[in-house]
Amino acid sequence: MSWQGELHKVLSATYKNWIISKRNAFTLFELVFWPFIGLLSIGLLTRFLELGDDMVAFVLVGAIALSILQISQIDVAYILLFDLWSKSIKQTFVAPVRGYHLVLGAMLFGVIRGVAVFIVLAAASSHLFGFDFLAGGVATVIVFLAGTFLTAASIGMVVCISILLFGQRADVAAWTLSGIMMLVSGVYYPVSILPGPLQILSKSIPLTYLLEYYRSAYGYGDHQILLGIALALLYFMASLLILNLAIERARRTGMMLRLSE
Amino acid sequence: MPALRAEKICKSFKRLFQEKKVLFDISLSIERGEIFGILGPNGAGKTTLMSIFSTLIRPDGGSLEVLGRDALRDTHAIRERINISSGNPNFPWSLTVRENLRHSAMLYGLSGRSLHRSVEEAISAFELGPQSDAKFETLSTGQKQRVSLAKSILNRPQILFLDEPTSGLDPEMAMKTRDLIKKIYQEEEITVVLTTHYMPEAEELCDRIAFLREGRLVALGTPGELKRALQIGHRIFVEYDGEVDPLKLRIIPGVMEVKELSGRVEMVFDHSGRAVSSIIKAFEGADILDIGIEEPDLEDVFLELAR
Ligand SMILES: Nc1ncnc2c1ncn2[C@@H]1O[C@H](COP(=O)(O)OP(=O)(O)OP(=O)(O)O)[C@@H](O)[C@H]1O
Ligand SMILES: [Mg+2]
Repeated sequence: MSWQGELHKVLSATYKNWIISKRNAFTLFELVFWPFIGLLSIGLLTRFLELGDDMVAFVLVGAIALSILQISQIDVAYILLFDLWSKSIKQTFVAPVRGYHLVLGAMLFGVIRGVAVFIVLAAASSHLFGFDFLAGGVATVIVFLAGTFLTAASIGMVVCISILLFGQRADVAAWTLSGIMMLVSGVYYPVSILPGPLQILSKSIPLTYLLEYYRSAYGYGDHQILLGIALALLYFMASLLILNLAIERARRTGMMLRLSE
Repeated sequence: MPALRAEKICKSFKRLFQEKKVLFDISLSIERGEIFGILGPNGAGKTTLMSIFSTLIRPDGGSLEVLGRDALRDTHAIRERINISSGNPNFPWSLTVRENLRHSAMLYGLSGRSLHRSVEEAISAFELGPQSDAKFETLSTGQKQRVSLAKSILNRPQILFLDEPTSGLDPEMAMKTRDLIKKIYQEEEITVVLTTHYMPEAEELCDRIAFLREGRLVALGTPGELKRALQIGHRIFVEYDGEVDPLKLRIIPGVMEVKELSGRVEMVFDHSGRAVSSIIKAFEGADILDIGIEEPDLEDVFLELAR
């Protein structure tokens, strides 16, 4: 297959996500309204608690990371969710596409939306709360976003995997997992205040390191970003591998047919 | 080399600790350039078999070769060269017909001008022009079926699997679809594997037919062979006035079955020749008002095999 062919297989998922987003009003909510509301309420909370600038930065970094993560993970999960809702999964998996085509294509759209959300939130937080989101330089932002997108893609893939293995409603389990992950990675507080066992768990989550990294630009001590990126890459590769296995398993169990009924 | 060779394909589905066997040791071979029909009652396993043949799902056992490749290992290369239109088809609801076809074409790696050409050709082949900018969710059943058929020719497949291609189509569109299947089959020399519940359609299109019942292959052959093998004879009825000796009817050469009604006799004859003159002789003394001969059709084969 030519490189154009490969490229278009990847872009097929981008194209589908784009059309569906373009056509649905909820996209605007996903992209602007909810992130903005989230940021605003957290920002106002910092005012009410009369937090200092460094604390405000700490909390806003968490709020921004959360919004980006949510929007780009759902884009990857949409690989299966859209097909699931319209019962068209067969059409995708009878075609000569592999897991990575779908993941990369959907991720591309997730990255575009994630960057858009970042820009909206960064502008809003700097305007409303005087938060300097570029304090660590452009490179810091890029590394932080790259790690966040990798993590988001892994979560999106876990949603797909759980649907392929356990059926229609199994995506709830995956969203629960991502909720727990957010709890222990210290979105709004340092992980040091977590109970011991949860702290150990937080060390296995890339988001923990990404947040520490971004926050280190605002005077919050050390970071281990290399470890964080390595973990994010590891989870990404592992999720992709397991996704492929889950697709093959769904072909053996007949789940592939049941999901299209 | 056949287009497809299946050897002892079996499949069962597990659901809540229950295992249900739906295909038992299916072995058959489909030649290149043939239109091959898979018939059978509801739940016989036709869709399951088509899904296995098109590599959407994997069999539990047996071997399968498609276009000369091992279909249990070389699935990706096979998917590039085949396509399927499934019965009761669905596509992403909020995409329009054209967007859905473009998306499908991209899944097959088409790009640029060849993508555009394939999509537009498929739209016109199945007369989807007026609906091309309508969202999939707003289409009628038959229009959805046509989108699925249009999608199935996008990548110019060498084998085309069609699961109930004309279900939900109005008679005119069904006829056009059959003509189109014949046309692409003749022009592109592709192999077509189809299922249908409409026997005249199978009779019109199929070179050979496999008959499934409860997951087993119970008959395989040309429509003519199936009729002969099952001894489904010609039905001849005679309407008459007067007296006829029932014994005389039962000794007419080739008669298999005699049913007497008042003023009417229905007989089934084998293929040893139509004994019209012997029939007329058997009715000597009575007045023959009408004689009719009905060719056996696949419907009879179906009813016989489904029993
Ligand atoms: N994914 C699945 N999981 C569990 N059982 C299934 C699945 N798909 C099919 N079956 C069962 O397998 C059997 C064969 O189904 P299949 O759809 O292949 O029949 P069919 O011949 O296509 O019937 P129809 O003429 O109604 O389309 C049925 O008993 C059905 O309930
Ligand atoms: Mg079926």
